[in-house]
Amino acid sequence: MTTARTLAWQRTRKAGAATLAEFWRSTPGRIGIIVLGVFVIMAIAAPLISSQELLNPVAARVAGLPQWGTPGDYGPLGTDHLRRPVWDQFVWGSRISLFVGLAATVLTMLIGSIVGVVSGFVGGRLDTALMRITEWFLVIPFLPLAIVLAAVLGRSVWIMIFVIGITSWPSTARLVRSQVLTVKQRTFVDRSRSLGGSGFHVVRQHILPNVSGLILANTTLSVPISILTETTLSFLGLGNPGTASWGKTLEEAFTNGAISRNAWWYYLPAGLGIVAVVLAFTLIGQTLEKIVDPRLADRR
Amino acid sequence: MIELTPQPATRETVLSVRDLHVTYTVASGQVPAVRGVSFDLQRGDSLGLAGESGCGKSTLVNAILRLLPPRTEVKGQVLIEGEDVLTMKPGRLRAVRWTKGAIVFQGALHALNPVQRIGAQIVEPILLHKTEATEAAANKRVADLLEQVGIPAGRAREYPHQLSGGQRQRVLIAMALACDPTILVADEPTTALDLMVQAQVLWLLERLRAERGLTMVFITHDLSVLTYVCDRLGIMYGGRMIEQGPSDVVFEDPQHPYTRALAAAFPTIGDQSSRMKPAGLAGDPPDPSQLPPGCSFRPRCPVAIPACAEIDPPLYDAGPHRKAACILVARR
Amino acid sequence: MKSPLVEIEDLRVEFGSARAVDGASLRVFEGEVLALVGESGSGKTTLIRAIQGLQPMTSGAVRLEGQTATARHRDTVQMVFQDPTGALNPRRTIYEIVAEGLRIARFAGDEEAKVREALGMAGLRPVERFLPRYPHEISGGQRQRVVIAGAMVTSPRLLLADEPVASLDASIRGEILALLRNLVDTTGLAVLVVTHDLGLAWNIADRVAVMYLGRIVETGMTEELLAHPQHPYTKALLSVVPETRQMEQQILAGEIPDPRKIPKGCRFHPRCPVMRSGEAARLGIDERCKSDDPAIIAADTIRGAACHAVELQIRGLRSGV
Repeated sequence: MTTARTLAWQRTRKAGAATLAEFWRSTPGRIGIIVLGVFVIMAIAAPLISSQELLNPVAARVAGLPQWGTPGDYGPLGTDHLRRPVWDQFVWGSRISLFVGLAATVLTMLIGSIVGVVSGFVGGRLDTALMRITEWFLVIPFLPLAIVLAAVLGRSVWIMIFVIGITSWPSTARLVRSQVLTVKQRTFVDRSRSLGGSGFHVVRQHILPNVSGLILANTTLSVPISILTETTLSFLGLGNPGTASWGKTLEEAFTNGAISRNAWWYYLPAGLGIVAVVLAFTLIGQTLEKIVDPRLADRR
Repeated sequence: MIELTPQPATRETVLSVRDLHVTYTVASGQVPAVRGVSFDLQRGDSLGLAGESGCGKSTLVNAILRLLPPRTEVKGQVLIEGEDVLTMKPGRLRAVRWTKGAIVFQGALHALNPVQRIGAQIVEPILLHKTEATEAAANKRVADLLEQVGIPAGRAREYPHQLSGGQRQRVLIAMALACDPTILVADEPTTALDLMVQAQVLWLLERLRAERGLTMVFITHDLSVLTYVCDRLGIMYGGRMIEQGPSDVVFEDPQHPYTRALAAAFPTIGDQSSRMKPAGLAGDPPDPSQLPPGCSFRPRCPVAIPACAEIDPPLYDAGPHRKAACILVARR
Repeated sequence: MKSPLVEIEDLRVEFGSARAVDGASLRVFEGEVLALVGESGSGKTTLIRAIQGLQPMTSGAVRLEGQTATARHRDTVQMVFQDPTGALNPRRTIYEIVAEGLRIARFAGDEEAKVREALGMAGLRPVERFLPRYPHEISGGQRQRVVIAGAMVTSPRLLLADEPVASLDASIRGEILALLRNLVDTTGLAVLVVTHDLGLAWNIADRVAVMYLGRIVETGMTEELLAHPQHPYTKALLSVVPETRQMEQQILAGEIPDPRKIPKGCRFHPRCPVMRSGEAARLGIDERCKSDDPAIIAADTIRGAACHAVELQIRGLRSGV
């Protein structure tokens, strides 16, 4: 590598490090990362900190666990109406919430970004066609779709990811497209074309770097939406009946009278877990947006 | 050139700026945008303020009507017809704004509300200040103003985007004149306009000034434009006024080295000394938050001497009604 | 006669019913600066964008060194933009910005050496200080120099400059103009500079072409054209340019018409002082001005004006009237 290129590369790395430093300096950002970190570690370490066998009601009865046990009876979060430990449900449920939330968001981001960039950059009739398709998907209500698909294809985590992804990508696409349109107007895009740059070159060198920040921030803010959607779908019984999830926990708590029994240890953890994870992603996303925004604008 | 209506022999001082200092507060600290500017304007005078980015001319003018952002420190006095604007109570200030002093902004797309008809925008200050007793009278006044600036009155119902750049600028002028102000400040009114449209707007301003006996302050970065419309010129650099005097004399025989360089940047067509010899200064206009010690122009000055790094020169006399802030001038 | 570096013949660019460039012909030679002067709506920016290939032409020919220009010629013609801040990608270092042209052209040689050379040519020294910087860390004048360096890095023969100093402070314009003139004088570069500023033309241009509503209405050597303008539009422009205070001001009424509604006959006739003062009637050409479009000035014309009154005068001089 030549010295000038090394210099330039070092500069790029320094700029990246500066972004991270700026992120850490913001209190909301820091809180978000820490909270999310806690849940991610918990989800990954699930086999280490909890067991799955006792999630089977038969095994729970055999093991002699109490019904509706309070946290004092069987810790740390007591048991439910089927004698299953709530802690295990909480820990293993976090996996579903996080996994579905992230996977659905990745799907959303991929489809939305590609459609947005292609539509915005190419323009013309392709743009019009893609936008009509986007609008069509925008109006599909996710709930009836989920119900229909669950009825036809069975209930599973993958159906949920598919449904959430399919119904969320349009808003990302429109956001990305409008940003691409703005960047396309900038003179440095003209300059690149006048230097002989092809469409691919311009998109890679100039459009994407100036749009990626927005995509990242938007993605991060989409995750909580996906998680909440998953929670809703699970709550309505459209998730995989076998696996634990926070939404399912809430549904079971609700259906089996945990509220009237005042069995707070059953529904509070899942509820608070959702709130905490959603809040964490939101804080991170907002911080990212703030950092990314001034960089998109010219400084002088 | 328009023939000016002859001014009465003794004229009152309409605007008096005394040792004005304006300091902005930003994240990184204090930024002195205006550092001690003083001048007087008599009724009917027109003063041109020229300078480049960061010289403080826009700040100065916004300070006159207290249009600066909240945490800005303003020291000194700004007397409009004897009243100090800087110490006015908010009620009095609102009454004074637009009726005593009005600003014509740069006519770019942003100065007008894009979703409001232009007639409604011009009538707004008239109604606010109750310049006319009835709404009908106010609308008639709007029609008159539009005609005076050369726009057919029927166009009052149009939206800004339906007008050309030159026409929008005229609307802004009409708006500024709505309450018959004593002082008219024009902040870069012809920047971003074509040559011919610029000439039309300048001609209009000059005509209005002559007809109404307006006192005008005209700000621009284009020095050559000022010599048309203004009798006096004030050159700003680094938050100070570094040269003052009658406009034609200052332009033709600048005393301050910066004025000389600035004038040279607007070559006279037909003058062989500028043919194929573009004249400019090295370096950039100074950053107000990082002014050098001594004279703020010293880093770029072609004739700086060692003493220039120590003394920040005040305005010295440089001839009849002329001043320049340069120690070389003082030594002559 | 030297052969021209660039020749444009009867170029037209239409946007639907709007004729932005309505038949323009000109030549640019090596080692000269041609100033294309006009107000907004004259079509001057559209014209150079068409030459550069950023804007498709509706019809007409662009020839580089005698051959029809194609994409392969892109390196030979480069552009300098009006807003240096907007022209630089804020997320790229100066090195990468200047190297971009070389990378697009798949330059096989020593990229760094070329970048350093270009920055040095543009007056950004010491080069090391600028290579790793981002655009927001340097001043406006320096940014424009980066734009110029980026254009010069592929060793072009023609530079198209669109208002290269309009966004810069007055005191630093001279340096950038001097840089351009210096490049022309030392390397034989040709520069076609688009501007509304006649003072700029006086400063650095060898020849001037004045555009109005999509046509070139007058062309000639700078000193001759600015001292003795022939076309009424040029005369009016010169009279209102603040830098020429000797002339009586001729402020034209109205503004440049919409390119979708170009006036019949001579496109300038509704605003032309010669028409409005009755002079055209006295010369007997007022009907011609209203119905006949003056001929497009040919590319090889050294001095010419597209005006019936001027034509009449020249014919009169020739026949000794």
